[in-house]
Amino acid sequence: MRLEIRSRDGLARTGALIHDDQVLQSPCAADVQALFPSLSSRFLENVPLSAGESFTDAWLVSGNEPHTVHPASSLEVPRGEALMVANWNSALANPAAYVRYLVALKERLPPDAAWYAPAAAIPSNAALLAWSGFDLFDRTGPDLATAQRRFLLPEGEFKEGAMGCGYCDCPGCAAGDLLNHNRLALDRELALVRWYIRKGRIRDLIDGRCRHDSSSVAIVRLIDQHYQFIEPRTPVTGPIPFRANSSEALSRPEVRRFAERVLSRYRPARTDTVVLLPCSARKPYSVSRSHRLFANAIRGRAHEVIVTSPLGCVPRETELCYPAAHYDVPVTGHWDAEEVAVISEILASYLERHGFRRVIAHLEGGALSVARVAAERAGVSLETTVVGERPTGDGSLAELDTALDGNLHRHEDPLRGLALFQFDRELTSTGLRVRGRYPDIQYLRNRAPLFGIDARLGSLRPSFEGWSLLGDAYRVVIDDFVPQGDILAPGVLEGDPRIRPGDEVFVVGPSACATGRAAMSLDEMLRSRRGVAVRRRKVMKREH
Amino acid sequence: MDPERPLASWIGSDRLEDRVVPTLTLILRTPGCSWRRCRMCSYRHEQHGTLEEAERLVRGQLAWVENEHGGREYDYVKVFSSGSLLDPGEVPPPALDAIGDAFRGKTLLVESRPEFVDRERVAGLAARVDTGRSANPVQVAIGLETTNDMVREKSIDKGFSFSMYLNAVREARAAGARVKAYLLHKPLFLTESEALMDMERSITDVSPHADLISMNPCTVQRNTELERHWRQGAYRPPYLWSVLSILLGAQRHVSADPLGGGRRRGPHNCGACDREIVDAIRSYSLEADRSRLVEAMAIPCDCKREWEFVLEHERPYCLPLTR
Repeated sequence: MRLEIRSRDGLARTGALIHDDQVLQSPCAADVQALFPSLSSRFLENVPLSAGESFTDAWLVSGNEPHTVHPASSLEVPRGEALMVANWNSALANPAAYVRYLVALKERLPPDAAWYAPAAAIPSNAALLAWSGFDLFDRTGPDLATAQRRFLLPEGEFKEGAMGCGYCDCPGCAAGDLLNHNRLALDRELALVRWYIRKGRIRDLIDGRCRHDSSSVAIVRLIDQHYQFIEPRTPVTGPIPFRANSSEALSRPEVRRFAERVLSRYRPARTDTVVLLPCSARKPYSVSRSHRLFANAIRGRAHEVIVTSPLGCVPRETELCYPAAHYDVPVTGHWDAEEVAVISEILASYLERHGFRRVIAHLEGGALSVARVAAERAGVSLETTVVGERPTGDGSLAELDTALDGNLHRHEDPLRGLALFQFDRELTSTGLRVRGRYPDIQYLRNRAPLFGIDARLGSLRPSFEGWSLLGDAYRVVIDDFVPQGDILAPGVLEGDPRIRPGDEVFVVGPSACATGRAAMSLDEMLRSRRGVAVRRRKVMKREH
Repeated sequence: MDPERPLASWIGSDRLEDRVVPTLTLILRTPGCSWRRCRMCSYRHEQHGTLEEAERLVRGQLAWVENEHGGREYDYVKVFSSGSLLDPGEVPPPALDAIGDAFRGKTLLVESRPEFVDRERVAGLAARVDTGRSANPVQVAIGLETTNDMVREKSIDKGFSFSMYLNAVREARAAGARVKAYLLHKPLFLTESEALMDMERSITDVSPHADLISMNPCTVQRNTELERHWRQGAYRPPYLWSVLSILLGAQRHVSADPLGGGRRRGPHNCGACDREIVDAIRSYSLEADRSRLVEAMAIPCDCKREWEFVLEHERPYCLPLTR
């Protein structure tokens, strides 16, 4: 069985499972025993997920598709054939083990194989399993529930009587056929899952679905905690808006990655004075009414940093970076203790790292509390400029203006911020021509375009000339060929390990170079034998 | 001799020669099992004293039993340790002699691994017990568990083969002893149906080579490898429906003690029908009245559909399907 991946979303993927003359849209539930008749003749082969290495080495039987794999085994899977994580159904009630096994398996086994989770899927966990990177399921779950007289919905498992509540009008319910309903409910949920994956929004679905089951919530949280595992697989650009609607938003890999890049890649161009500003509902912040008022008061006389949940602190020059210009949060005016703790920690690190001479908090309410906690932790004193209640009040703006008397003017440079954040490279727009209207701008040297800002994705798009200013950052080295279309994984020889799905990359080989966007992380490019690695934009033959 | 309390001792009823008789069951403290690797066994943690102290220890316990139960009537004595009564490295010959002497005139059952069943040793024990009252005063019980060597090795790590059992049976019978085979229903790593078939097959295979057969549905004992897997959700004890089904299908009387029956750690169904079925199994073990099994099998409980589904659909790559 071959898997043709069409879209990836973190660990999840959707595409086609091709088996003999059958094509199944994945992830999906199917009669897997009919697809793989060898499954019916497996006897006495159980090796539980909890078995250790020596037991697994002695007793794991493999050789037939789908190939049995185990977190403690080093058995390989033949390329292009499906694998089966045996007994995955038993992992679901055990969040810590589920995540431990998943990490071990996903780090070792081919990312481009079809992954089968036997007897695991029911409507209420299908999204979670797909989010975990499984492609193929059977109908044992719905059928068992039917034998137990349970009625299955994406919201959970109910007694058979719930069938009469009028919620579902599937053919199964219409005919009073519980088996048919339970199977259809799984198929229907998986259809929704495929749609969410195609839209890059599987996390949005998971954030809602997991609430009905404590183990599912625990699995989501634990995967987030495995940051080193999940971050490289998380796209650098994602859905718009970025819905930060759950308390888990603070630990989502996109959010943590943003804070880490602000702290490790970005550095301010000036350290005399920093002004801490509140966020705005409209993004990017600087096009909002409140930030236009702040800009009039500041007039380039300080480094500007926006204090916000869940991202922490957003230096003005990085306000376009995903998801700073794309997030949506429930606004209640209340900051909970966890938010204050996490965000003040990020802000304190930022203040400590750059040693600003003056720190001005033009903030109120929860954001001001965050700034106070951060300032105390960083050992800096805080000046405040909000008079009365509102940062946008005339009195507050006048106070801010006065506080910056005598400071030098120096404008923030979005090119610099984006280049540091995205490529870990310092660039300046000084001497370049700027075309367009912020945030949709292009940077040119003489008449040659160097970089364009893609405000929708929150990223910088370099031309060939632009790449020449970025050293060897974000390179993908390919074999000796001239790409005729997208660059496929087998053609990739090596590259920058920092490459994530969605990153702008520069492709170089002996015969050609190209610009494009990564469709997968570098690690996955190197471990895959099929699939698009880089969506090509432009290609240029090289002279020998 | 200082009386010393055994691990356990009680007087109950058991089936002997087609009669229900008062029976003393005795579990002795000894230096412990020489094997101590079985995946489901927690007795391996029971180790008391050294081999040098073992004779004194056994005699002390026999004295305690004499004080405690000496005045009571019983015909049948079953003696266990956490290992093998016939292992001279665990129970020194003088201690075994003392056991024979203590229960002279009764029918005495001793449990042992097969490698320690030696005709001289069994004959020596029989000579001490024998008063001519019974043709076979000694019974040797062996935890064969299954007649399938692969299952015994993989699922139990028992460390002996069916052929070693058969050899032990020859030794015991040559000494005039009867043999009781213990079978283990559903050790680790088996589906419900694999476990059921394993028992059906084992009962058939062992029948010519055992005078008595007892089948123990597996329970989750503390501090065992089995418990570790069970905690991870990788193991479910057998359904009581399976136990009934095996006993009903057997061509001869097989006793079963559903220890922990109806509990999560023991053989169980849904919780609603468990007690009635456990009672029926206990009664059948003692009285051999098949109608008790037939009645229990006909209890109209919803969970029977679940059991039937599990029998048909639980596969070695997706177990357990239920908890």
